[in-house]
Amino acid sequence: MPTFSRASTKLALLVVFLAVPACGRAPSGDGQPEIRQSPAPAGVVILGSVSLDPGREYEVFRPFADYLAAHLGEVGIGTGKVVVTDSLSRMVEALRRGTVDIYIDSPFPVAFVCERGEARPILRRWKRGSETYHSVVFARSDSGIESADDLRGHVIAFGEPFSTTGFLLPKATLVSSGLKLVNYADSAAAIPSDQVGYVFSNDAENTLFWVLKNKVSAGAVNADYFAALAGSRMDELRIILSTEETPRNVVCVRSDLDPEVVRKVEEVLLAMNDEQLGQKVLRDFEQTTKFDRFPTGAAHDLARVHQLLAYIEEDVGQ
Amino acid sequence: MRLGLKGRFVAFVVAITIAFGVVLTALAVRAQSERLRHELIERGKLLTTVVAANAANSLALLDVGALRNLIAEVRDQENVLGVVAFDEGGRVLTDGTVENPLRHTLIDEAVRRHVTVSDTLLVEIADEEMAVTAPIWLGGRPLGGILIRYSLADLAHDQAVLARRTAAVGAFFAALAVLAAALLTEAVTRPLGEVIQAARALAQGKAVPVLRVRSSDEVGELAAVFNEMTRRLRETTVSRDAVDRVLATMGECLIVIGADGAIDRVNKAVCDTVGLAEGELVGRPSDEVIGAPEGYRSLTDAVDPQGPVHGLEAELVAKDGSTIPMMVSIAPMASPQEHSPAFVVVASNLTERVRIERQKDDFVAMVHHEVRGPLTAVRGALGLLAGGVAGQLDDRARELVEIALRNSERMERLVNDLLTARKLDAGKMDFRMQDVNLMPLVEQAVEGTSTYGARHEVKIFLDGRVDGARVWVDPDRLIQVLVNVLSNAVRFSPRGETVTVSVARRGGRLRVAVADRGPGIPEEFRDKVFDKFTRAGDEGWRHQSGTGLGMTISKAIMEELGGGITFESVVDTGTTFFVDLPES
Repeated sequence: MPTFSRASTKLALLVVFLAVPACGRAPSGDGQPEIRQSPAPAGVVILGSVSLDPGREYEVFRPFADYLAAHLGEVGIGTGKVVVTDSLSRMVEALRRGTVDIYIDSPFPVAFVCERGEARPILRRWKRGSETYHSVVFARSDSGIESADDLRGHVIAFGEPFSTTGFLLPKATLVSSGLKLVNYADSAAAIPSDQVGYVFSNDAENTLFWVLKNKVSAGAVNADYFAALAGSRMDELRIILSTEETPRNVVCVRSDLDPEVVRKVEEVLLAMNDEQLGQKVLRDFEQTTKFDRFPTGAAHDLARVHQLLAYIEEDVGQ
Repeated sequence: MRLGLKGRFVAFVVAITIAFGVVLTALAVRAQSERLRHELIERGKLLTTVVAANAANSLALLDVGALRNLIAEVRDQENVLGVVAFDEGGRVLTDGTVENPLRHTLIDEAVRRHVTVSDTLLVEIADEEMAVTAPIWLGGRPLGGILIRYSLADLAHDQAVLARRTAAVGAFFAALAVLAAALLTEAVTRPLGEVIQAARALAQGKAVPVLRVRSSDEVGELAAVFNEMTRRLRETTVSRDAVDRVLATMGECLIVIGADGAIDRVNKAVCDTVGLAEGELVGRPSDEVIGAPEGYRSLTDAVDPQGPVHGLEAELVAKDGSTIPMMVSIAPMASPQEHSPAFVVVASNLTERVRIERQKDDFVAMVHHEVRGPLTAVRGALGLLAGGVAGQLDDRARELVEIALRNSERMERLVNDLLTARKLDAGKMDFRMQDVNLMPLVEQAVEGTSTYGARHEVKIFLDGRVDGARVWVDPDRLIQVLVNVLSNAVRFSPRGETVTVSVARRGGRLRVAVADRGPGIPEEFRDKVFDKFTRAGDEGWRHQSGTGLGMTISKAIMEELGGGITFESVVDTGTTFFVDLPES
């Protein structure tokens, strides 16, 4: 009878030990029992945005769209899409044609499209912990400019053309006060005394330094940034105008969007910050804090925006 | 702890290698560090220059946003600690961040000053940081600049890594060097060790092994030379042993006296003669052991620097104080270690000889007293008989009386010769030296021998003369010599022949030549002519009345007179004897 070494015996036992469990295992990719899932609803919810950088915008909106779509199954929506237009007028068109269901943007663009009847505001979007913002217009303390009226014959620097607090809001406010603001390409241009020339600095820091260095006579920036921008040189500057607060961001929906969908969208958005995944999606969505309803109603809370829009409609519609 | 050659060599190599390695490592690390540092600095300067070039336009337009974006990219570069763009007043415009906490802060005073007066890079290095400032000028006026701070911490890290690697490599090669040193010293010291062991065996008198010559280098040569040395030493030892045996065996006494006059060495014969051990003799002053010969204050005074002196009579002092007569020869012996020479003394015991000489003296005295007197009486009586004092004798009686008379005369001459020879040997013969004319003495000798010659029918003819020649001699002894030589010439001349005598000057000396026409002296006898009692057994020789002592006595007398006697001979032709004297 053949004899076996202790090593070969151990090896045989090991093989048996490993082989036995494998015999009774069902083939499976992840080891979990399979669960039959029902097919996704066929409906699609389309989020729209206006941007000259559609690729980046798509990346920003996509997770949010997916989250939203994932929670709209009740209303037959299972897929989220993102549509980016390069102008506000095209967004209006998209809303009209129904290729965009939900449009989220700053107040003036939203007011623009809402006035065209193609959308209606439903919720506010909080960003970076605040629901509203405003702008300040400032000049050097030693410039002799103490009020908005003193800006005549001077040049003011705004931020980016599409910026609410950097351009639209302060301009609208200045124009609404009776000033004639004219866009100049060169900050050194001679400005007629009945005008206020303006240039785009395209950056809040530029605006600040241009004012400090007398490249321009005044500048307008988001009030939240002014203190940080002024820093230790605050005493060299003077705020000559502070605008009203406006909602920071607004969620509007296509005017003819199914009310049930609208309701569900509101429900989902309002609850997003109550759950972990929703919070993460919100953070990734441009530092969104939460969504809420307009305190006194959208019409009331956006009334001033609509008023000021009249002064800058051409600028908004670019 | 005492280190051997191997240990010292290895320690030396280790020390040199470590020192060399440390120095090399330090130099290499330093050089590499310098190179790294230089590279880092150059890289920093280049980056700052590029950023400044790219920032110039934005700074000119005061486009802080663009500056911010530009600097934001630079901030992420390796080793960059921070970047700021500043205006002509030295105020920071942006640090590349949106928050920009350095906004409006003033840069360093020195940097600020630099950018307002220069458009060249400013490099500041402190500890592990380097700050490079690139001023930005446009249209001949400063706009501001770019300041980038770099970390040099990596440099320290790189230096440490480099140092460790270099040290590791150095340690590796140091270990190799030590190993090589150990192997090399082993190769050198092992053969040396064999030589040392062989030398130790040699010093201890043990058997010395023959060393193996493994190589042709210095060590191999040492081994070969050592082998040769031991071979020669062995031969020398054998020779010395043989010499020692000879010295111990020889009957003569051998004494070596050092340059200081003390005894250096003696042989067994000396110890046996004086009754003292070698240790009791070596080191003692030689004067205490060997008496001075007659006429000298000490034995060493008799030394002739030119060579050995023989025939000195001195005395050894025995242990009991008695003296032992010795015949001594002494010679100087050059000593390589001493300036003064040592002396070698060879001495023969004269005790037996003295006893024999005393016996001879006793015999001579006995002959003188007991033989000569009666012999003289006998000859006298026979002469009277021959003279007819007792009456006329018949022919037969006369013949017998003449025979007795001739033999008694011969006996008398023999006795006289014996006495003379003994006196000469003993040095007791008296010489009355005088300054005399030579020719009369020669004439006297010729006349004295003429009767003898007539009897043998041999004429004696005086041929050459040197009148007025004077010599310093004992006249009687000279005549005795000349008569002896003439007598021999007559004796050995054929009847009717002539013996010719001539006197001449020769090389500052006077020569008396006596020539015969006899049979000549055979070759085998010529070196015995002057020996005692030597007479040829040849039939050609007539030995009428010779005693065999005549030539011996003549030679001894001539030597005492300061001259000499020689001869020339041709067999069957004749012999000529020469008696030479210095002319006074």
